[in-house]
Amino acid sequence: MIRHLFCMLLMTAVAGCASDPAPTEQLRLTEQAMAQARAVGASEQTPALALAQERLAAATEAMKGERYREARLLAEQAELDARLAEARVLNDKSEQELAELHRRIARMREQLGALQ
Amino acid sequence: MAVFEGISEAPQILQDAPKDVVRAGESLARAKQFAGYWGSAEDVIHYAYLSKRYSEIARQHSEQIQNQRRATQLNMELERLRQAVQEAKLLDIQSQDRWLEDQLISLAAAETDRGLVMTLGDVLFRAASAELDASANRTLLKVVHFLQLNPKRRVRIEGYTDNRGDAAENLALSKARAQAVGDFIQSIGIDAGRIEIVGYGEQHRIAENASARGRAQNRRVEILFSDENGQLSNPR
Repeated sequence: MIRHLFCMLLMTAVAGCASDPAPTEQLRLTEQAMAQARAVGASEQTPALALAQERLAAATEAMKGERYREARLLAEQAELDARLAEARVLNDKSEQELAELHRRIARMREQLGALQ
Repeated sequence: MAVFEGISEAPQILQDAPKDVVRAGESLARAKQFAGYWGSAEDVIHYAYLSKRYSEIARQHSEQIQNQRRATQLNMELERLRQAVQEAKLLDIQSQDRWLEDQLISLAAAETDRGLVMTLGDVLFRAASAELDASANRTLLKVVHFLQLNPKRRVRIEGYTDNRGDAAENLALSKARAQAVGDFIQSIGIDAGRIEIVGYGEQHRIAENASARGRAQNRRVEILFSDENGQLSNPR
């Protein structure tokens, strides 16, 4: 009990605590999210992905320094940054598809007009 | 927090990306929880950030789904238009065929083994001259009109005479008459490249030269039309 209390007090500090394991699973999830984002076409030009990369790099640094809690928090944030990047790219593509469809419809209407 | 409220009140987003909205809400709840402890400000910021990101992701997904729905509708419309264009083109071709028939009938051109031939009688010229009479205008304007409407068609204008007089003079006259017709057509705007001129003189008579009537028939100009691709049959 006292140990737990002690641990909780220490949570305000950056130093690792017994209740903070190395967030290897989270890092894996983050890397997976970034790979998915890249797979649909996100790049360093996508702001959210650039942010994710920075955070992942910082998380990896923190891992090396055994600052596991910091690493976990950074990795969680990076994961969502990457997923936002993915969602943005997919949304942009769907918008482009709409624009293209509108163009093709306009051309068809022109053709029809010329024939009638 | 404002971002989460933004999306939690948007029914479309709730419908399209329910899981993301739920996670956004959960993260926000945890942020509030930590804010209540004498816990770390870092945690509050962290979960508030996650909540914001989940909300943004939810919005993006929802917009994307909306766009996809719209794309489906537009694809259907495109398909309908494509079919309409096809039908219109088909009708166009059919009506053009009928129109061509009408034009040919009005030209009174006869189908011969050389192709479509229109005959201009001797009366359209001043006697023994290559000068076109005004009475020729109406007929020749029909030819011009036909050539304007069918830009790929070409003509060969053939002059013929009877056998009275010098053969060489007749040859020259027949060519001159053909030329006169050609010049007239050209003057109204038909390109010279579409017009061939030839004189056959006394050759290829169509009636016997013994009678006046027969001779009159032989004195003629024939306009030979090409096919719809511009191909003329070989010269005689």
